[in-house]
Amino acid sequence: MARQTALEGRRVTGPRGFPASRTARPFRGSRGIRRQLTVTPWLFLAPGLLIVGGFSLYPFLSTVAHSFTDARTLTAGRFVGGANYQELVHDALFWTGLRNSLLYVLGAVPLLVVLPLLLALLVQRQIPGIAFFRAAFYTPVVASVVVVGLVWVWLLDDRGLINALLEAVGFGRVGFLGDPWLLLLSAMAVTVWKGLGYYMIIYLAALADVPRELHEACAVDGAGPVRRFLTVTVPAVRSTMVLVAALSSVNAFKVFSEVYLMAGPTGGPGGEDTTLVMLVRQVGTGLSGRVGYASALSVVVFVLTLGLMLLVLRAQRREDG
Amino acid sequence: MRRLSRRAAAATAVLITSALSLTGCGAPGEAGGSDSASGKVEGQVTFQTWNLKTHFKKYFDGVIADFEKKYPDAQVKWVDQPAEGYPEKLSADAAGGTLPDVVNVSPDLAYPLAKAGLALNLEKAAGKYRGEYLEAAWQSHGMPGLQGVYAFPWYLNTGPMFYNKDLFRKAGLDPDKPPTTYDQLFRDAVAMAQKSGRKIAMLASTPSIEDFGRYGVRLMNAQGTAFTFNEPRGVDLLQHYKELYAAGALDSQALTAQAESAGRKFEQQSVAMNPGSALDLGNFKKDAPSLYKNIGITDAVNNTGKANMYVQGLMVNAQSKVKPAAVTFAHFVTDRQNQMAFAKQVTIFPSTKGSLDDPYFTEEDGTDATRVRVASAKSLKTAVNYTPVLLSDQMKTVLRNAVAKAVQGKQSPKAALDDAVAECTRLLKTG
Amino acid sequence: MSAVVDMRSRAEGRTGGGRRMPVRRRRPTGRRRLPTLRYLLLLAVLALSVGPFLWQLSTSLKGPGEDLYRYPPSLVPHEVTLGNYAGVARIIPVWDFALNSLKVAAANVLTNCAGAALAGYALARMRFRGRRTALLMFITAMLVPVESIMIAQFLTMRQLQLNNTLLGVVLPACIGAMNVLLMRNAFAGLPYEVEEAAYVDGATAWQRFVRIALPSVKGTLAVVAIFAFMGAWDDFLWPLIVLSDQSKFTLTVGLNFLHGTFADNQRLVAAGTVIAVLPLMVLFACLQRYFFRGLGEGAVKG
Repeated sequence: MARQTALEGRRVTGPRGFPASRTARPFRGSRGIRRQLTVTPWLFLAPGLLIVGGFSLYPFLSTVAHSFTDARTLTAGRFVGGANYQELVHDALFWTGLRNSLLYVLGAVPLLVVLPLLLALLVQRQIPGIAFFRAAFYTPVVASVVVVGLVWVWLLDDRGLINALLEAVGFGRVGFLGDPWLLLLSAMAVTVWKGLGYYMIIYLAALADVPRELHEACAVDGAGPVRRFLTVTVPAVRSTMVLVAALSSVNAFKVFSEVYLMAGPTGGPGGEDTTLVMLVRQVGTGLSGRVGYASALSVVVFVLTLGLMLLVLRAQRREDG
Repeated sequence: MRRLSRRAAAATAVLITSALSLTGCGAPGEAGGSDSASGKVEGQVTFQTWNLKTHFKKYFDGVIADFEKKYPDAQVKWVDQPAEGYPEKLSADAAGGTLPDVVNVSPDLAYPLAKAGLALNLEKAAGKYRGEYLEAAWQSHGMPGLQGVYAFPWYLNTGPMFYNKDLFRKAGLDPDKPPTTYDQLFRDAVAMAQKSGRKIAMLASTPSIEDFGRYGVRLMNAQGTAFTFNEPRGVDLLQHYKELYAAGALDSQALTAQAESAGRKFEQQSVAMNPGSALDLGNFKKDAPSLYKNIGITDAVNNTGKANMYVQGLMVNAQSKVKPAAVTFAHFVTDRQNQMAFAKQVTIFPSTKGSLDDPYFTEEDGTDATRVRVASAKSLKTAVNYTPVLLSDQMKTVLRNAVAKAVQGKQSPKAALDDAVAECTRLLKTG
Repeated sequence: MSAVVDMRSRAEGRTGGGRRMPVRRRRPTGRRRLPTLRYLLLLAVLALSVGPFLWQLSTSLKGPGEDLYRYPPSLVPHEVTLGNYAGVARIIPVWDFALNSLKVAAANVLTNCAGAALAGYALARMRFRGRRTALLMFITAMLVPVESIMIAQFLTMRQLQLNNTLLGVVLPACIGAMNVLLMRNAFAGLPYEVEEAAYVDGATAWQRFVRIALPSVKGTLAVVAIFAFMGAWDDFLWPLIVLSDQSKFTLTVGLNFLHGTFADNQRLVAAGTVIAVLPLMVLFACLQRYFFRGLGEGAVKG
């Protein structure tokens, strides 16, 4: 009996979408309620909107305004029209940054959608000592990115532990931190490594919702673990996978710290590993930062991430349809 | 539809007001009255140092107590900022009008502040103290295109070159004859790389702007309106580095190296020579004892006969409400007696006239530490700050990227430097 | 009212039901071997995730005079000492910094959990004009590059006279857009019937939110809590910019003082990083049970 209701609950809820899914719809057929509710939702939303509006959206409007000026950190700018945007199109570093940011998304996101889910399944069962493993797996997430950078630079250095191991087993040393492509790959590996625990807990929260009965029904049918994973787990956490895909794409596209720490403040040899956000920082921070140009770059980054996010959501919706 | 347009109108209004308010970082120069520092020394002076509290709290507490004793109507509030993010902190405070009264700066930080009218012109306000300081140090906070000097010179530093005698020996080089000219340096570097099968590099990083300066390259034109480091001598230096890189005489991570990572390479003994300061000796002893046993010390190679000087200064906020007290305090901290006392706390060098003739900086006692101190003090008397104050962080990146491209052979040294000079000059002009 | 309570227990039975379920044995065959394999995998991941940090730990325990730069590198300290930890506490007021961080992080957890849950519930469960706009505002806010707005945020703080206060540190991130979206996703996943029934019984929106919806999303709330804590604990640039007095500095800012102007003490820096990470690991160890109320629980215990 319990199982049945649970299954029904599933079916009624349907695939969960993020964030614009059509299924997250309030009580159907209760049209009359709507009027009464008009104030309540805004009361619920008020604190969030106030903070987000006041401290993110409103300041961003001034970023947009600045992108049309030649402002510096300490000097007010004059209106220069689209000059900053024009400059950007001809800036070779901008294109390098865009390429790297996109490569980062392509390289890191698929791994960040799948691996943390597997990890979540691995630590989900209550077996002796599991609390220790869970906390341990979360360490890379809680360690500050600076520490993570230090540790990995030490590991991947010409004279680091990994090269010492490679030498010991007869391979030569690999110059991970000297070559632009290897640097980018190394930075991606660190991003994935640090992201595993982060997205793992998002999956765990979602998995906690998957009714056990579903699995058991499947097990009774004689399905193996792989099939159970594909037919029960994946569909049940699909909306979360989309969420993780969206979040990790945005984060990967805006990557800064890992590349900065591994490839140095110039973004690799000759700037070949620059990412877009790195460029924003290089150009805009400091006392003589070119705030105008950096703002134009920020606006472009913003528009591109928005596009990326919509793309992910579109892909999800098409699957639903 | 109606609602939409109203929303759009509101958004536009917001845009305009914010564009106006955001960059309004105080009317330069005018605010806070005249530049005069004459008047009664009274009120609370906020004094900001850059990462000095942790190790020198006692010293500064003493200086402040002395000052407050001498000027009973004045109080000093001391704040200290951590190592990282200092330029960002200054930017926010400058934009928000919350800059402290006396601020620890280096010339490259002082320049934009002076240009925005936030730094007091001390030539005017405190010109009478000029004679107390080394001329080069006083001039180091003079800004191209601006009249005057914008910070009291504070402590100076310069560094010897450290080298690893053991690695020299293994490469068949004389450990007691380190290179003293660039030609020797380049030759020894190639020998080192060949002998070690490209495992040991002589140098850990590519040339920075100071290296161009030491090599004798003219960095800017006299008016300070254009960069000139693409002159033949600059191209020559870069050509040499390109050859070093190809021979394996530069560390494989040299293209992305920073001061810290270069230091680490030297401590790991995979790089044979590295610039440093007297302070590094203590580090070697603690963290890399096997290196310390083999440490060699020599003067930094240069073609100009002048060492590079790093200088810190104390700027007075032009909008300070307690200007007389602020100027008096900034002078007090940087006066001969207090700088000398600071120099005895840690190996820095006073910028006051005559201090470097003190026996503390001239007499050797046979220890390495003293030897480095004496040598550094001697070279400081003629040293110059090679880094142009106009070279912003972004321009430094431009130069680094150009150097990397040339060294990797993706561009000829000439073309790379030409591009870099054009870009830096463009950035200078848009500023 | 009693109907509402009753409904809630039914809702729990459906969603986070693992806890209340009688323990069931899995098929005994084939299950036996799995834990061994699982442990092997766990150990492999453990080596990958924690291994790299052992170096920091080891450096922080190394005594003076030990060569930190040997090749091949040595992971085991030869003269183990806790002196570096004492050293950190001696040269910076590390406990004061930690207390400030704790205040900021705790406030950030409370405001984020409350604010994000409220907004997320409204977005997922209420129908009103402007819902899409509100949702879009949160998505947009999440995408704004922080680098570009930091100085503007500081100027706002200054206008509010909140610069150099801990409140100023907390405020801009006190309800994160991403957390709102996480909560919305969680609420959207709950079945409707219970709330519908409660609605029919006359429960107000607030009652449905507090008594039915909120208890069912404890897992996601725990996620939001830990993200909020971590975000506040690790943040460096913003507290640095807002705060001026050392007495108000948070731990990340304060630990940066360990990097000397003239000489770096690697051992102290390493000890500092360990001090910064430990509280987060403890917090996670405490919260982790909330993440695991589903499938696996009880399967072995019984």
